[in-house]
Amino acid sequence: MEALIRPEFGLTFWTILCFGLLVLLLSRTAWKPLMDSVNERERALKHDRTTAETARADAEKLKAELDAKLSDLKSEIGRRMDEARATAEKEKDLLIEEARSAAAVIVESSRKEIEAQKIEAARELRHKVAELSVMAAEHILTKQLDHRANTDLASKYLAELEKERPDLKLEC
Amino acid sequence: MGLKEILEHHIVDHIWSWVNLGPLRLPISKHLLMMGIASLIMLVGLPLLIRSRAKALAPFRSIIEIIVLFLRDEVVYPNLGHKGDGYMGYFSTLFFFILTLNLIGLVPFGATATGNLAVTAGLALTTFALINFAGIREQGVIGYFSHIVPKGVPGWLYPLLFPIELIGMVTKAFALCIRLFANMIAGHIVILAFISFIFIFGSLSAIVGFGVAPISVGLVLFTLMLELFVAFLQAYVFVFLTAIFTGAAMHPH
Repeated sequence: MEALIRPEFGLTFWTILCFGLLVLLLSRTAWKPLMDSVNERERALKHDRTTAETARADAEKLKAELDAKLSDLKSEIGRRMDEARATAEKEKDLLIEEARSAAAVIVESSRKEIEAQKIEAARELRHKVAELSVMAAEHILTKQLDHRANTDLASKYLAELEKERPDLKLEC
Repeated sequence: MGLKEILEHHIVDHIWSWVNLGPLRLPISKHLLMMGIASLIMLVGLPLLIRSRAKALAPFRSIIEIIVLFLRDEVVYPNLGHKGDGYMGYFSTLFFFILTLNLIGLVPFGATATGNLAVTAGLALTTFALINFAGIREQGVIGYFSHIVPKGVPGWLYPLLFPIELIGMVTKAFALCIRLFANMIAGHIVILAFISFIFIFGSLSAIVGFGVAPISVGLVLFTLMLELFVAFLQAYVFVFLTAIFTGAAMHPH
């Protein structure tokens, strides 16, 4: 049975030679491409992961930015609305004020007009009354100065005159 | 034919001829043939599987990749750190070499080269060389040998501990050699013993032999499954221990 454990050291030489050659050859032909592809894949995976992570971070940053912008816009809109409301309020007040003052002006001017018209009317009335009274007086006078009365008056006057001044008496 | 002959026939190497290479007298044997077949399978199969883009081969590619990544993440990196990238070729080849040799031993007409002390000694020697190479490369010659004795040991113990640690280094490699060898032949011996039961009981009477046969075959199948598991386990253990020793030589603290 000692043949089992009696080493034939020539085979040791073959083993070392064989194994050494295998290490050299397989390192080049098998393990290098294998490790290269594995490393490549790992690198690609890592790269993909970092890319995805940066993309996520970017997206989150973008979202935060958009949120901030949105809230900015919201506050801006609120501000603008308030402003517009205030402006409208002011404008309304202004318009009312203006309308009120315009109305006052109109009232004032119409009162003046009315006053002027009143004066004018009074003057005209007075004028008309004077005219009318003159015309009435004229009428009355015309009516009183009739022909007979005048003739009587004239004969009376002539008689008086003949009496006073007989020289002048007409010989008739 | 006794159990001894059967065991020697099935487990011990068959040397067919000898080659003289300078001072070396090298055997051409069945185990060398198995190593050659394993090397051929690995040299042709692994690059093909790894480089191919065929859909049918994708599962095999994934298996190889999973094993190599497991070796990298669970064996090499924890022990060697990220400098282990440079040693991945060694550890991957070691694992697949031992695994292939173990599995070829389970194929009919195959022989388990890792069940030969000379082969495991060769593997252990390369591991021994790797441990010292990695340690010296990492710390320099002086740093490496001054760190062989653990830190915090009183000065007067150094003369005692230094030789012990030196022996320890050799022992580690020796233990690797024996562990793999013993594990690989143990299963074979058990299988052969179970099969021999049939003939042992058959020599008592044919009926007993046929009665024992199903039990034996069942037990043999069970042991074969166990051997299949052990083939993977021992390849892993060898690589794992090599990584631990190498890591310890690189980082002495």
